[in-house]
Amino acid sequence: MATVHTSHRTSPGTGADPGTGTGTGTANGPAARGSRRPLTRSAREAVAGWLFVAPSTLGMLVFLVVPMAASVVVSFFRVSGFGDQRFVGLENYRRLLHDPVFGSSLATTGLFTVLFVPLLFTASLGLALLLQKRRPLIGLWRSLVFAPHVVSLVVVGLVWQFLLTDHVGVVNRVLDGLGLPAPSWLGNPAFALPAVVLISVWFFMGYYMVIFLNGLNDIPASYYEAARIDGAGRWRSFRHVTWPLLRPTSLFVLVMTTLTAIGAAGVFDLIYVMTKGGPDYGTQVVMFYIYQRAFQLNDFGYSSAMAAVVSALLLLVMFVMLRLTRGGKVDA
Amino acid sequence: MSPPQVPRSSPYGPYAAPSPRRGHRSRPLLSRRSALKSAALTVGLPSALTGCGSARAGSAPMSFWNPWGPAKGSDMAPQSDWFTSLARAWNARTGKDVALTYIAGETYTNGSKLQTAFLADSGPDLFVLSPGDFLRYANGGVLEDLTPYLSDEARRDFVDGALDTRTVNGRVYGLPMSLQPHAFYYSKRAWERAGLAEGDVPRTWDQFLSVAEKLTTRRRSGLLLETTPGYLQNFCWYPFMWAAGADAVDRTGRHSGFDADGVVNALRFWQETVRRGVAPRRALGSGSTDIVANLLAGYCAIQHCGPYGVGQLRKAAPHFDFGVFRQPVPHGGRYTTVVGGWAFVVNRHGRDPEAAARFAVWALGSMEEECVRRVARWCAEASTDLPPRKSVQQHVAAQGYFDDEAMRYFQREVLPGGRGEPRYPPNVYQPVSDAIQACQLSGADPAERARRASGLIEDALATYRGARIF
Amino acid sequence: MPDTAASAPRSAPAARTAAAVRGAPAGASRRPTRVRTGPIAVWCSIAVLALLTVAPLAYMVATGFKRARDVYSTSLIPGSPTLGNFRYIFNEIPMVRYALNSLLVAAAVTVLSLLFHSMAGYALARLRFRGRDALFSGIYATLLVSLPLIMVPLFLVAKTLGLLDSYLGMILPAVFNAFGIFFLRQFYLGFPDEVEEAARIDGCGYWRIYWRIVLPMSKPLLSALAVFFFLGTWNSFLWPLTIVQNDALIPVQVGISSFQGQYSAAWNYSMAASTVAALPTLLLFFAFQRQFTETLKTTGGK
Repeated sequence: MATVHTSHRTSPGTGADPGTGTGTGTANGPAARGSRRPLTRSAREAVAGWLFVAPSTLGMLVFLVVPMAASVVVSFFRVSGFGDQRFVGLENYRRLLHDPVFGSSLATTGLFTVLFVPLLFTASLGLALLLQKRRPLIGLWRSLVFAPHVVSLVVVGLVWQFLLTDHVGVVNRVLDGLGLPAPSWLGNPAFALPAVVLISVWFFMGYYMVIFLNGLNDIPASYYEAARIDGAGRWRSFRHVTWPLLRPTSLFVLVMTTLTAIGAAGVFDLIYVMTKGGPDYGTQVVMFYIYQRAFQLNDFGYSSAMAAVVSALLLLVMFVMLRLTRGGKVDA
Repeated sequence: MSPPQVPRSSPYGPYAAPSPRRGHRSRPLLSRRSALKSAALTVGLPSALTGCGSARAGSAPMSFWNPWGPAKGSDMAPQSDWFTSLARAWNARTGKDVALTYIAGETYTNGSKLQTAFLADSGPDLFVLSPGDFLRYANGGVLEDLTPYLSDEARRDFVDGALDTRTVNGRVYGLPMSLQPHAFYYSKRAWERAGLAEGDVPRTWDQFLSVAEKLTTRRRSGLLLETTPGYLQNFCWYPFMWAAGADAVDRTGRHSGFDADGVVNALRFWQETVRRGVAPRRALGSGSTDIVANLLAGYCAIQHCGPYGVGQLRKAAPHFDFGVFRQPVPHGGRYTTVVGGWAFVVNRHGRDPEAAARFAVWALGSMEEECVRRVARWCAEASTDLPPRKSVQQHVAAQGYFDDEAMRYFQREVLPGGRGEPRYPPNVYQPVSDAIQACQLSGADPAERARRASGLIEDALATYRGARIF
Repeated sequence: MPDTAASAPRSAPAARTAAAVRGAPAGASRRPTRVRTGPIAVWCSIAVLALLTVAPLAYMVATGFKRARDVYSTSLIPGSPTLGNFRYIFNEIPMVRYALNSLLVAAAVTVLSLLFHSMAGYALARLRFRGRDALFSGIYATLLVSLPLIMVPLFLVAKTLGLLDSYLGMILPAVFNAFGIFFLRQFYLGFPDEVEEAARIDGCGYWRIYWRIVLPMSKPLLSALAVFFFLGTWNSFLWPLTIVQNDALIPVQVGISSFQGQYSAAWNYSMAASTVAALPTLLLFFAFQRQFTETLKTTGGK
């Protein structure tokens, strides 16, 4: 990420390239001699640079940028999916403004994000703190916590659907046995979204725990020593040493989890397998609505318009986040 | 328990193109852009790794995408075998081969494969549709007219109404495989345990609710109705609306009929079942018509399903004692039920639509003895459904198909008076679906929802221009 | 909680201070049993947490061994365990072929991704060229693009390139994304300059430096990323489903999904199939977990 830095890098903060200090001297030597030399050192470096990024850039252009651009173009058409398309200008976008389902799907997505991000952040950070210290079998425990992420989302959806079955599923049987209310998790609009949130957190927490673990390991022990010498307790040590130094990692996690929540990268599969946007639009997040419009209601142009709006929204959210957190630059 | 048995139309729904331009077909917009890129990129791409089996020449086999075969798993064997022997028989007699592609039921109906393929102009030459789906493809101009290949005699042979939902302006675009009217199955054991007798089979909605209540226990629901939003749910709900004397779209096809007492009552009935706790909020297995996963497993005591449920139950548990009763009616209502069924259709933009059409007609719409036998085999053996043609009816009757009590009941009591699954454009289907969901699962006010949906349907019909809705 | 005693050898004063930090009475360090209840309690809660987290998966595996009638029982141990489900699955569907397909695609994606992403990350971090930062922002922006948004145009692109129904069609779109480039760029940003300088003075070209020096030094990060890529590809479902028709090419997630569609009621089969599909990645993870959880560093240069 462009703006994530850790405090003890060797190079200066802006990510400037190394070697320019000493390099320029030697580079300009031959170049300064005249235009006879075909390539200066910096020119050669530029060529090398472009060649190195070429495969990735080209690939992303073809497989990500072009389709995305095409999608935006399609949003100005009415496409039926059978080979006839009509240019309709901004009509799709106008329809969006009057579409209550789009509005409610955005609201559902917002609700999902507001529940998902803090919960996941806290859970993964907590787990990382808990599992940071090397204890007996720590490798095993970490693996177990990460295990949900290893399994495919389709399988996760199936397994949880099975566990959450009304009346006879394990979860409800246990709840019943304990005398607690056992609602229809996936069949009740009030419970469906929380259930999906919890399952998603369960799925992702191991992954972000790993990221936090690495962030925590980057903090030198000397800081903690200093804090200890100053008489800081566990909580103060966390607040004044861990938390500030963890900022780059925290930011990364925050951005990624928000992207996941809004862009529904993994959540889409879960909803597709378990609830199909139901019950009564309880889990109709905007990405699912986009899919539905395109593939179930054959309205590709409209669907692309929604996709464009959501992407713009995502960009905005990311931009705001980066601004608010000052790009994660550490003040230490 | 194979999903294709389910007479559900794909949730894609019929498509309402504002003006279907027949004969006008432009290449997909996007290929122009990609063509520029591809010119630069295809140079050097190792073609060895690309495309095993994707056809390039005109002698390529016709692709037939279907949700039955060739499939793995012994459960799917009868249907899968029917399809593979169908393809084999055709391939043996002509040069234009048919190649089957199996797409699992769930993916076929709910997924994006078919859509993506059509958008990229790579749609299959042959595929299957249910009436709910039909308008979308018909209005999109992708279905081949089968009328020229269908003899008058064969056309008359189809049971009244079987072809209607596949006909546009008098021309036939799809050939049905079977008829699948909905009725209710119940577990006799649960029935007796609840102290109910034969005569307690409900005929009215009030009786229906009270019977369901008696059958509900802690671990078992009395009655199972569809709860997942989609075409299937609408399909299962329509007969309630019709029996109560209402219709989503009026006879002219231009105005909404949804703001009516019948609709409100039907919505309220579904709401009551959940509110009183006699119906669960989720079904097991592949859905509310998966009779093996629900009724047989003891998850519910009554369940709606088509005739194929008989075969599924018999196969899964030969000793399971079940009964069937037809759709109860509300006070002052008239009996009716919804009749589903899948049809073969041909892609007009396929490689050789003529050959494909011939195949479809040969397979299902010919008067030849072999064809009759073939359709009979599908209806009686591969999947226990009702025959869509009179000659097939006679054939299976002669074989004793209707000696079976359940099948006889379906043929004599359930089917007559049934109405084919309606074909609605998405903007009509969606408000109905929303109303059902809101009333059933969120306890919304049925009258208010009916009114709201009616307004949306009215708007939708005002701008609809396409094949007739019914 | 800050790890006050992570790897440093413990000395008595440290132990006493640690006890103080935990809030135990000052004299507690002299009574070893008291000092240890803290860690034991923590260890137990960790164990419980981990086991609870993995419980649903354990349940999935257990159900795979249960008979059809026992499927909804709450016990983790099957009452009358059977291998029949697995036997059925392997008989009915070509699991081995599906797994091999997945393996081929995942391995190819992993190798290509590691190569291309590290090249890009290296260039973005250590080479200077005009438009570099703009390019990086662009790459950053592609994080926004997810499959449902571009599914249809991507399919068209694939079709135009002749990638339909092929291994390449499954491999190529999966290789090009921004994920690895970030971590690698961050990693290379922290690289010590001296190494490269020394090599350059020796007259090595850029590629030599990258291939011979930088790449070997990135091994820990690369192996961690390799696990991520492999995992992601092995578990991908929607794209292979869309692009592949030919039964010979179907990867494992698509293969079992159609199986699950048929047998979703027979949860014992469905869970057994899911177990088989998840097993390779679970094993892979357990084998590499150390690398994975400890070396995904955001800085490099040790």
